[in-house]
Amino acid sequence: MSDLALTQPVPLAIARGNGKRSLRIVQSLCILVIALVMISPLFMLLIASLKDDRFRILADMGSFRAFWVSDPTLSNYKEIAHFSGELAYGRYLFNSLVILVATVVSGLVVNSMAGFVLAWGSLRGKAALLALVVALYVIPQESIIMPLVVMMSRAGLTDTFAVQILPWVASPLYVFLFYQFFAQLPKELYEAAEMDGASVFRIYRSIYMPLSLPALATVSILMGIESWNQYLWPTLVTQTDYARPIAVAIATFFGQDSIYWDRAMAASVLMMIPVLILYLAFQRWFVSSFVGSAVKG
Amino acid sequence: MGNRLLSALLASAALVATAGFAEAKTVIHVMHQGDPGWVKAYGDVATRFEAANPDVDIEMIYAPHDAYNEKFSAAVMAKQLPDIMELDAPFLANYVWSGYLQPVKPLIDKDLLDDMTDSNIAQGTYPIDKDLYAIGLTDSSVVLYGNKKYLEAIGARIPKSVDDAWTREEFEGYLEKLSKLEGVKWPIDTFRGYGIKTEWITYAYGPLLESAGCDLIDRKTWKASGTLDGEACVKALTMMQDWVKKGWVVPTSSGTNQFYAEGQPAALAMGGHWFYAEASAAMKDNIVVMPLPKIGDKGVSPNGTWIWGISATSENPEIAGKFLSFLLKDKEYREYAKTQSAYPGLKSFAAESPLYAEGGPLAVAFEQASKTAIARPPHPAYPTITSAFMQAVDKIFNGGDAQEALTAAAKKIDEDIEDNAGYPPFDEQQ
Repeated sequence: MSDLALTQPVPLAIARGNGKRSLRIVQSLCILVIALVMISPLFMLLIASLKDDRFRILADMGSFRAFWVSDPTLSNYKEIAHFSGELAYGRYLFNSLVILVATVVSGLVVNSMAGFVLAWGSLRGKAALLALVVALYVIPQESIIMPLVVMMSRAGLTDTFAVQILPWVASPLYVFLFYQFFAQLPKELYEAAEMDGASVFRIYRSIYMPLSLPALATVSILMGIESWNQYLWPTLVTQTDYARPIAVAIATFFGQDSIYWDRAMAASVLMMIPVLILYLAFQRWFVSSFVGSAVKG
Repeated sequence: MGNRLLSALLASAALVATAGFAEAKTVIHVMHQGDPGWVKAYGDVATRFEAANPDVDIEMIYAPHDAYNEKFSAAVMAKQLPDIMELDAPFLANYVWSGYLQPVKPLIDKDLLDDMTDSNIAQGTYPIDKDLYAIGLTDSSVVLYGNKKYLEAIGARIPKSVDDAWTREEFEGYLEKLSKLEGVKWPIDTFRGYGIKTEWITYAYGPLLESAGCDLIDRKTWKASGTLDGEACVKALTMMQDWVKKGWVVPTSSGTNQFYAEGQPAALAMGGHWFYAEASAAMKDNIVVMPLPKIGDKGVSPNGTWIWGISATSENPEIAGKFLSFLLKDKEYREYAKTQSAYPGLKSFAAESPLYAEGGPLAVAFEQASKTAIARPPHPAYPTITSAFMQAVDKIFNGGDAQEALTAAAKKIDEDIEDNAGYPPFDEQQ
């Protein structure tokens, strides 16, 4: 047998085919391992939310038992699904949703308009404006947060939904994203519409906006995640449960003396779902936006 | 027709305005932190108070524990300080010095003031005017928890009182023996997992160092250089660093409990009184509560917790005081506090707490309050003191040079005090 193996060489094409298949198997295995590593925290979160003993969750962490629940229960979800009182996590989730939708919708309008004007508007000092937008982007949120609190308080907006939406509607990053996207579209589009007598607003609304789905998707996802995960800002500007978002409410589970992992996990799962839905809904355009920006040039 | 409509509108507006005026209530804002249990307990007290006082509306303002100071700063900047606020006792001097709090003695029921333990009075008193600025139902302490089986296996002496606490030699000897005992992964959990974002290091480790003759700052001259970076502190922190180097201490990466976790890998735990409820539930009779060890000539234990103060800007301090008195006397609030093994700050509460009464499992913790408790430095620079100290300890535990880290911390503290011109009138205390 060994002689046969030595004297009869394997045809090159078959050897290459086998090599490619082996490579593909190795690649797939690597991807699978990476995927498992990436998904394991989420899976652990989900499993932990189905355990009703916070000490058990703590004890299981760091071992494979963290990925297994023998007697799953929805009791954690039941405990937090209230819509009234100080611990109304159902209501806080709803509050967060309202804030997210309002921020994203108004953000898309404001930032896309600004981006469009910067790209095609006949403004004087457009370059300087663009430079200012980029410069504003590098200012960290933390450095302006206290003056912003004072401004909002003087405007009488403390403990409202508006205070959690208004400051984040316009963003230099998203203005710049829209500007870049619009600027890449052919100039002829604008000129043809202008010759047909369309107003600037009409051109923006009827021609450029329908073409900018990838940009809209990207901004929606990024803005949505940003709004959803806001913690310090709503902590500073909300007082009562009226407009308290879920991110702040979850902090109650992380007390001075102990951490309520069971309910914190259940609330985190609930908190994760809307963002996941947002991502899945816009994923196709989100990905194409990145692919598009990567191959252009 | 137009006139009639206008009259009707004006009349309705007047009616609405009158009705609104008649129903106007005094609103008292109460800022607090806490986990869901405490949040509910406070909310329920507020509801009962409102029922008893229909003309008052209590508005509870929740602030997450880890962002409490940021929220407080925002309230100060926005000039929206609440009427009542929960505050961490060691920060009291800073708040009073900054003018945020008013004395509570004239506002709280006298029987409650007479009921306060010495340790509770100490944590709420401003050292300059010796006036009381805050009061609480509770106080706190740290004890040494032990795994009975492990301690019996190495033949360790179990102290029953603060007076016969382990000496340094005994303590280190037991740590060494425990490190070699089967089943013990780490001899002691000092809860390094709490990290440097909480007060833990200053609160719990500070007393051990003080017991060894060290202190965070000279409490007469209010200078850290020469004290925090003095020989006693360097030696004491080198000793603790040595415990870490020998692998005796549960590392930060292992979280905040290895004492009663699966397999009980840590034999001892230097934990807060609150830890008892969870530990005893998990370990049953296998837990012993001991006083903190005496590293030097004297035993030292911590005190201080979140207490209630009335802001200087409150427009209704009498009503705020009335609510605070109501809160501290509320039976159901006290019952809830008992379930959390809350450390008594009122004598009447201690008497009704079986955990802390004589013969109770945490009696030795309560004994520490009267015999060894020393408050953290009551100085307006405390936020800087604690932050600098914790960063130094963290560096040292992670292998840094003790002298170098402590010198840097002492310098930072002294610079802050100098930058504030000695925080007058503290500069006259020397």
